[in-house]
Amino acid sequence: MIRNRPRALAILVAAVAACVAPLLLSDLTFFVQTVQAAIVVTGLALLMGYAGQASLGQGAFVAVGALTVAVGTTHWGLPPLLVLLLAPVVAAAFAAVVGIPLLRLQGHYLAFGTLALLLMVQTAMSSVDLLGGAYGISGIPAFGVGSWVAVGQLPYAYLALGCLGAVLLLSARIADSRFGRSMRALAGSETAAESAGVPVQRSKVAVFALSASYAGLAGAVGTFFTPYVSQDSFPATASFTYVIMAVVGGLGTMWGGVVGAVMVSALLQVLNTVSSQPGLPPTAAPIMQYATYGALLVLALLFMPRGIVPTLDSGLGRLRTRPQVGVRA
Amino acid sequence: MNELITYLVSGVALGSSFALIGSGFVVVHRVTRVVNFAQGSLAIIGSMLSSSLLARHLPHVAGEAVAVALSGLVGLVVGFVAIGKRGTHPLNSLIITLGLSFLAAAVVILVWGQDPVSPPGLSGHTRLFGAEVEQQRLLVLGLTLLAFAGLAVFFSRTYLGKALTASASNPYAARLVGIDVRRMGLLAFAISGVLGGLAGVLIAPSNALSFYSDLPLALSGFAAAVFGGLVSPLRTLAGGLGLGVAGELTAGYLNGSYQTEVALLLMLVIMIARSSSFVPEEAK
Repeated sequence: MIRNRPRALAILVAAVAACVAPLLLSDLTFFVQTVQAAIVVTGLALLMGYAGQASLGQGAFVAVGALTVAVGTTHWGLPPLLVLLLAPVVAAAFAAVVGIPLLRLQGHYLAFGTLALLLMVQTAMSSVDLLGGAYGISGIPAFGVGSWVAVGQLPYAYLALGCLGAVLLLSARIADSRFGRSMRALAGSETAAESAGVPVQRSKVAVFALSASYAGLAGAVGTFFTPYVSQDSFPATASFTYVIMAVVGGLGTMWGGVVGAVMVSALLQVLNTVSSQPGLPPTAAPIMQYATYGALLVLALLFMPRGIVPTLDSGLGRLRTRPQVGVRA
Repeated sequence: MNELITYLVSGVALGSSFALIGSGFVVVHRVTRVVNFAQGSLAIIGSMLSSSLLARHLPHVAGEAVAVALSGLVGLVVGFVAIGKRGTHPLNSLIITLGLSFLAAAVVILVWGQDPVSPPGLSGHTRLFGAEVEQQRLLVLGLTLLAFAGLAVFFSRTYLGKALTASASNPYAARLVGIDVRRMGLLAFAISGVLGGLAGVLIAPSNALSFYSDLPLALSGFAAAVFGGLVSPLRTLAGGLGLGVAGELTAGYLNGSYQTEVALLLMLVIMIARSSSFVPEEAK
């Protein structure tokens, strides 16, 4: 308990700041998008860190969640709360079905396999009329429960925060469960995990589906906020960004996803502001964005391969233990 | 019938460019177990360099050759960042090369802008089995076959090539007999740069390339390399040609927009079908 005090304090401060921020900001687009990314990246950090599987196509599941909301409300007239709850379930089911063959792949193959999946989902969205076709899906109703209907941006900021909180709580519960421990064993050595009685294939599909359900939930929240969905809403670059956020924040940690998402989003926002200054050529924005993505990934993996959160953790741990070592000597 | 021959011939020509990019993946992965995501970017840099050099009145062949050599240098730099630090896990190296491909995109936009670039190449057409074919595409096919033959000779007949193969099959034993495995890895990256540059120089005259083309190029090349299990150049060539033909047949008889998806689907099927044979290799 004492060991974790600075961390608990940091979490409390961050939580309060996150709850107050929407009241102070005039435009919440950036806020909602950051929280949305944090939800996706929390799942991705679970998948990459605990299960040791890389996904370059997490956007595919964000798209499935978004489509559940878009098609559910506009075509079938389902109530918003139902489709919001349905989105993670549909995304997880989709991931379980495609995961059974896909997760026989490992490492590089899985990374490219998931990227291929994302591109195929994009094609399906642009060529099947039910999923948007050439024009995308618009006219998605506002979120609401019963007779209450969300007005303005503020409800969505808290909806996103609530979803993030639920996702983090669930992750914490899972990490300490039998399933969580078996996942960590999987990341270490599949053979060893299997000989210890971990059902390897089933556990991998389960964690893949879990990360997909987070992505689906994020997609659903985003779709209510920006009531339009088309194949261009989920570019491959966005999925790469999730990987960058997960790597920068720290894989296999509870808070790595949130820290990575907030830091990378904030950095991109700053760059956006800088590159839209008058006097800069129009190519300044893409140049800065690509250069930042690239530099972040390369530097993070070379100099902080475990990510910010674990590096900070062990740094704090060293600070705390150093005096004790001195006394003993 | 005539239609079918046209699709087959243009498919083979298209597929040879996939195979050329795929060979870059194979050379690097054989030696270092790293998948170089920046392989598509190397092709783009090659094509951009050749267009600039040709615009500066460098004669054909010389301009292309310098561009290819410079791409080799870029490949070396990529290798240096990706595997230069000892103990970098291959999957981390993959993500590092993904980062490098972003940096490459930034450089390409900075130097050459966002518009697609298409350097001049052969412009004529030739009749082959009664079908019209661009001469540039035949040149691609010819040089691809030449490059693969060169690779085969290099890997099996020269000391350097044998040292590369040795580092690939057993790094520990290779170190024991005095082969610098890390230097071999860097050499492999330089060769992949040359192959990628060659692919870019050859593709760009018939299909204009921009910074945005790196993902499709890398994916189609990777798909071709998957047929060879990421280690066999010959089966990569066969895979590339097969993918090219399958893509052109889909575009011709079904719908042009499904061309990439067919290639991706084939790649997935091959990967999953052969996944059991990949596992021991990944475990190394």
